[in-house]
Amino acid sequence: MISVKKVNNRPLNFLERIYLWEIGRGLLVTSRHFFVNLFNPKKIVTVSYPEQRLPLPGAAGQRTRHRLKVRADGSPKCVACFMCQTACPAYCIRIEAAEYPDNTVEKYPAVFDIDLSRCVMCGMCVEACPEDAISMDTGEIPGGAGDRGELLMTRGDLLRNLPGEPSVKGAANRLANEYLEGKE
Amino acid sequence: MIEFFEANKDILLFTLAAGLKVLVFMGGIMGFAALLTLAERKVSALMQDRVGPNRASVFGFAFNGLFHPIADAIKMIMKEDFVPGRAEKLLFTLAPFFALVPVLALFAVIPFGDYVMVFGYQLDLQIADLPLGLFLVLALSGMAIYGVFLAGWASKNNFALLGAMRGAAQMVSYEVVLGLTLVGLLMIYGSANLQDMVRAQGRLLFGAVPAWGVVLQPFAFILFLIAAIAENKRTPFDLVEGESEIIGYFMEYSSMRFAAFMFAEFVEIILVSMLAATLFFGGWQVPYLYETGFIFPGGSALPLDHYLVSALQVGSFSVKTVFFSWFLLVVRWTLPRFRFDQLMGLCWKALLPLALLNILLTGAALVALGKL
Repeated sequence: MISVKKVNNRPLNFLERIYLWEIGRGLLVTSRHFFVNLFNPKKIVTVSYPEQRLPLPGAAGQRTRHRLKVRADGSPKCVACFMCQTACPAYCIRIEAAEYPDNTVEKYPAVFDIDLSRCVMCGMCVEACPEDAISMDTGEIPGGAGDRGELLMTRGDLLRNLPGEPSVKGAANRLANEYLEGKE
Repeated sequence: MIEFFEANKDILLFTLAAGLKVLVFMGGIMGFAALLTLAERKVSALMQDRVGPNRASVFGFAFNGLFHPIADAIKMIMKEDFVPGRAEKLLFTLAPFFALVPVLALFAVIPFGDYVMVFGYQLDLQIADLPLGLFLVLALSGMAIYGVFLAGWASKNNFALLGAMRGAAQMVSYEVVLGLTLVGLLMIYGSANLQDMVRAQGRLLFGAVPAWGVVLQPFAFILFLIAAIAENKRTPFDLVEGESEIIGYFMEYSSMRFAAFMFAEFVEIILVSMLAATLFFGGWQVPYLYETGFIFPGGSALPLDHYLVSALQVGSFSVKTVFFSWFLLVVRWTLPRFRFDQLMGLCWKALLPLALLNILLTGAALVALGKL
């Protein structure tokens, strides 16, 4: 059912036809806004963006700049399985895997680059990750840059835990957990 | 040398005083016009519940956007000064001058105060005390059409030419109404000297109401305001330029040449405000303020110093000018634009007959009151 709003197209009366009275009413509306805002500038809803930020609404906080979670021993939680790189529709993730010398269960990413200039912030990498190692919950919104290079996030930029967040314990894999416990 | 100064003392003093007045008055107008470019953006922002420009800063101090006119000027100067290859070079260069110079010259006849005694020399607060000042106003404001049309024609651009045609048609039409609304004032004051007209507005009607033009000719005031906004080419009559959709006569202009047209528009706002204040709102008159101080209708008096009275009068004129400038900005950001046929219809079918009727009624009233 389409909702229909009936417009009352009645003929204009004399005051409306000479237009001056209606101009006066219009001027009253706009000048009321002017004076209210002039003496109450705090009530204007504008947010001065870079200095002043609103909390991101709803799940929008889950579509912000990426990070890679870090384990208690400082190693990345990522196991370089290439799931995210495969899932990425923008081909902006580049991983080079490497092996720990003493760990036969897991790999680790020697290189983990995300090219933010290509990233479409879709969150597919987060969905694809079997280790819950990559997430997009930093709350930082990638902005512009003067140089393409500034938009390339390398492993060092990505590896971090949020302030106050305890370092990640454990892995999805049982053997990996045994290995990690052995290290402690 | 001394003899030369002694012999030509009057003319030298007059020249010095005129030069000083031009410097001070023109400086004030230029500064106010620059502030108006900011005020236009700020007022429109506040009317629409926005904040407006507030970023341009010097050493980190933004003063809520006070430096934006300077930033705008610097930006305009840095832009490329482009002249189309097929344009008429001479006329293309002259057109911005034709737009700006007549408007600035008009301020010469506007009285911004009565007079000040400086070291026994009577300094009239008006640059040129012309007996036919009002006609000079009409003649020079007619000159503004040349700026519009030359700009459109010299650009050798069809759209600019069309914009110029619209502009010329509009300005010629509203020129007629503007002139006719002022005839009623000429009949009442019996003088075309603006200073005399302001002095005449210092009288009281029925011993209590100031005899301002708006009290004597309320009808003419509304017609004048409409015609003046149309002459000024601003919304609701801005289809000459129509910056958002249709293209105006200065579309080929860039850099400071374009800024000259924009600046002329803002100077015209001040001019229209000053004319409205001078002709209809008593100019520099403050109600019940005379040369010796306040004399209220009840008979009580408050004697004031001569300089204080002069300062109050100049202040009164400034306040009226600022008020009308604000009013024109509010009108510009409230009303939608007229269509071209509506614009012409309003002028020739509504305003012109009403202006003629106003002259008829004024004449009839003057005859009935035995003033003629």
